Amino acid sequence: MDMRTVLSRIASLFHGRKLDRELDEELDAHLALATEEKMRAGLPREAARRAALREFGGVTQVTEQYRMQRGLPFLEVLQRDLRYALRQLMKSPGFTLTTVLTLAIGIGANTAIFSMMDAIVLRPLAIPDLRHVVVASEEQGRGYKQVALANYQSWQQQSRSFEELAVRTYAYMNMTGGGEALRVEAAKTSASFFTVLRSKVLMGRVYTERECQPGQNSVIVLSYGFWQKHLGGDPGVIGRTISLDDRVYSIIGVLPRTAQYPSTADIFVPLAPTAQQWQNRADREYLVVGRLKPGVQLEAAQSELQSIATRLGKEYPVTNAGWSARVEPLLSQVNGEMTPIYVRLMLAATGFLLLVVCANVANLQFVRGIARRSEIAVRVALGAGHGRLLRHLLTESLLLGVLGAAGGLVVASLTLRLCLLAMPERVARYVAGWSNISLNGRALLFSLGLAVAAGIVSGLLPALRSLRINLVDELKAGSRTTSGNRQTHRLRNLFAATQIALSVLLVVGAALMCKGMWSMLHFADRYNPAHVLTFNVDLPVARYGNNAKQAAWYQASLEKLRALPGVAHAEITSAIPEGQDEWIDDFRIENRPLMPGKFQSATRVTVSAGYFDALGIKRLAGRTFAEGDTQQAQPVAMVSRKFVDLYFPGQDPLGRRIRMGGASAGDAPWVRIVGVVEDVTYAWVERSMQPAIYLNAAQMPLNGASYLVVANGDPIALAPAVRGALSELDSAIPLDAMQTYRQYVAEALTGLLYVASLLSADALIGLLLAAIGIFGVMANVVAERTTEIGVRMALGASPREMVRMILRRAALLAGTGIAIGLLMAAALARLGANLLFGVRPDDPVVFGSITVAVAVITLLVSYGPARRAAAIDPMRALRAE
Amino acid sequence: MGDGKPDVLQGTLDLMVLKTLEAMGPLHGYGIARRIEQVSGETLTLNQGTIYPALLRLEQRGWIKSEWGLSEANRRAKFYSLSRTGRRQIEAETENWERVAATMARFLAPSS
Repeated sequence: MDMRTVLSRIASLFHGRKLDRELDEELDAHLALATEEKMRAGLPREAARRAALREFGGVTQVTEQYRMQRGLPFLEVLQRDLRYALRQLMKSPGFTLTTVLTLAIGIGANTAIFSMMDAIVLRPLAIPDLRHVVVASEEQGRGYKQVALANYQSWQQQSRSFEELAVRTYAYMNMTGGGEALRVEAAKTSASFFTVLRSKVLMGRVYTERECQPGQNSVIVLSYGFWQKHLGGDPGVIGRTISLDDRVYSIIGVLPRTAQYPSTADIFVPLAPTAQQWQNRADREYLVVGRLKPGVQLEAAQSELQSIATRLGKEYPVTNAGWSARVEPLLSQVNGEMTPIYVRLMLAATGFLLLVVCANVANLQFVRGIARRSEIAVRVALGAGHGRLLRHLLTESLLLGVLGAAGGLVVASLTLRLCLLAMPERVARYVAGWSNISLNGRALLFSLGLAVAAGIVSGLLPALRSLRINLVDELKAGSRTTSGNRQTHRLRNLFAATQIALSVLLVVGAALMCKGMWSMLHFADRYNPAHVLTFNVDLPVARYGNNAKQAAWYQASLEKLRALPGVAHAEITSAIPEGQDEWIDDFRIENRPLMPGKFQSATRVTVSAGYFDALGIKRLAGRTFAEGDTQQAQPVAMVSRKFVDLYFPGQDPLGRRIRMGGASAGDAPWVRIVGVVEDVTYAWVERSMQPAIYLNAAQMPLNGASYLVVANGDPIALAPAVRGALSELDSAIPLDAMQTYRQYVAEALTGLLYVASLLSADALIGLLLAAIGIFGVMANVVAERTTEIGVRMALGASPREMVRMILRRAALLAGTGIAIGLLMAAALARLGANLLFGVRPDDPVVFGSITVAVAVITLLVSYGPARRAAAIDPMRALRAE
Repeated sequence: MGDGKPDVLQGTLDLMVLKTLEAMGPLHGYGIARRIEQVSGETLTLNQGTIYPALLRLEQRGWIKSEWGLSEANRRAKFYSLSRTGRRQIEAETENWERVAATMARFLAPSS
């Protein structure tokens, strides 16, 4: 068929009736003309008409043939089937409504999770040809690091694999001038950064190479979110100036909403290294991204950079010996390790939910199939072929699926809205692509696919079953019993047991996740987190450029805070226990040479002197930091018990000296160990306790720190006083993320909280559906066995025995389902053990309580039908036969 | 289709219709059918009805167009006429047909 014919056929679908009328008229005209001609030749009217009809051939056949030629036969059949299916469904509105709602929940939940996965895992970055964009880093032995500027420049000059390379780093800057001071995250990038990513601007322009020179770089480009939030989306913003770290920058451009890399960046400023910085091969703290030339494979680029790195190692042995290079796709860098796994876990769980839904719908279809047997029998008797009947039944199922998908879109959009609302903004910025989550065309396609799959999965077996009927029996007058045959029973039992098994699996998964969540939320309880106020401060380099100035600020600010009424302690730290700011650093021990290729590392935490008292961390040996530990005095450190166990087993660590930084950190001071404290976990992800080294903030000040203010009462009530006190000291320093320690812990767990609540929702819905399924099966059993029960009771069985008989049946069904579910759950929990925190994958409490709970639920819902069995009046039951 | 009457090959019928319209100008379905019968010397008695799917097919391809008009006896009827592509198509179809006919003729010629 040529295109033109297809188009005309499709067009004809839309006004079939009018075309039918025209054809009738045309054929009438033909016959009339023919009749008239024959009459002119002398035939009487009737004979003439008959002759005309004979010459014409069959009018009906021609019409049929004409129609086939006119439209798309396949579509017309489909249209007819759909209309028929719709009529059938309207006849049983209760069934239809239940099925569509159930499917809507299943498909909706899946579509929502898919949209989330699509936005944050599959395509978090709206970057053209993303697969050609890579991240290059320097690698030494086990760990890889970022890149030193001079090495980046060598790569840039010597490599042939890349269209372009770009470099970036980031900095926190304090924005002043508009009300309260604000801490913003700046991405400092080379001009090529925008070409590598092929970024477009929403308005204005991005900066040029010339603007990436020292002194020329006072221009900034805004991210969409920052522009919306802090500049009100002002369209006239280009050319305005803002003040960052006491320097004036003029705004030259705004990026579009889809620009999400790096997702945390509020603003972009030109990276303008000095000539001296360009020579540095040791400070590996720049991130390099590049775009591969078309046709160049990642491995080729990697081996090229590796050979350059080897050359550099020979040329500059002091800084580059032993360093290699590593190239990986930007996407895998952005996603991180855990997010894709968790999103897949959620998708798998909702997939199981959809299976439960399908099993439920299939069960409803079985029941309906039994009720429809006479209808089917009549149609078979009238000559309807099996193929055609199957087509009709499947069309009904598919239609149900599609209607369910339509409802599912509503469910999905509500779910997504809820997810978006519940996400704290401070966390959302770390999830690339979060703000791109929406129900888009791909999600629509996905839900349509699910609809078809669900329709077939839930409809095929019941349809096949309902076609296997005994015509004679069905059509015999009075045969109105609803007894299904044995095989149908077996299938229905299978579906009900499957539902229970799958919901047990879901509930166990959710319960493990929730229990883990719960214990993680309480890991920090020993520090009394509800009474602690935390916030972060970053000191602007321009005014707090040296250690003395920073130390003075901390000293003054802590004194001011301690003087506030209601404050028990005020301390600073570089990392909060059970948080996510752990910094693991290499160190060396005095008089103990390192084996080549060996590393020793520990969590490095810098704290003020009263930190241990404030959080109640016990001292085990030696002393804690004291007043006399000033910048002029010998630098001192505390270490954790684990540190002693690992590095000074059986020895006295007190008085020994260590030096922070690996082999490359030449001139770091030697620090004397003066005390040992108990172990503290800093990163919740790794429950294995890391060895820790505590440095004194008074001796080695930080340019940014977290404050811990321990209150006697409600810490949030202290917040205004804290703000007031610190702004008296320096009003241009923003206090970021002010909240209680408890809130801080909860926020760190946001991602897991999402996973846990979603799994719980899946599990609850699954359990509800399984309960409905069991109820349906049992009610059906009772209805079908009415006569049998009547006979038994007439023969002297007591109602209680009847209840027991029905419940035994339910228990068998539930028991099978629960057993299979527990086995699957145990296997899957072991497989996914690395996704569970704070709980054992075989937690006996979880498994035990769920077994009991599901068993109780199934017996409870079966009790209704069992009671009905007991209430059967033997006389009436037997008379009905 | 035809019960006992010779089946008219689809392509053949199409060409006949096109040629008829070329010769006669705009014509209704009955007229086309009669004309084909007359030209074939009544040897080809086609089921007149089969002309209509053929007309639709040609129209779908854009070779002919149709509009409602009045017949000789003042009866409303649908008149078909050649389109510009249809005119061009006649040449192609004719050539095609002549090639087939020639081939067939060679097969049927008494072998010498």
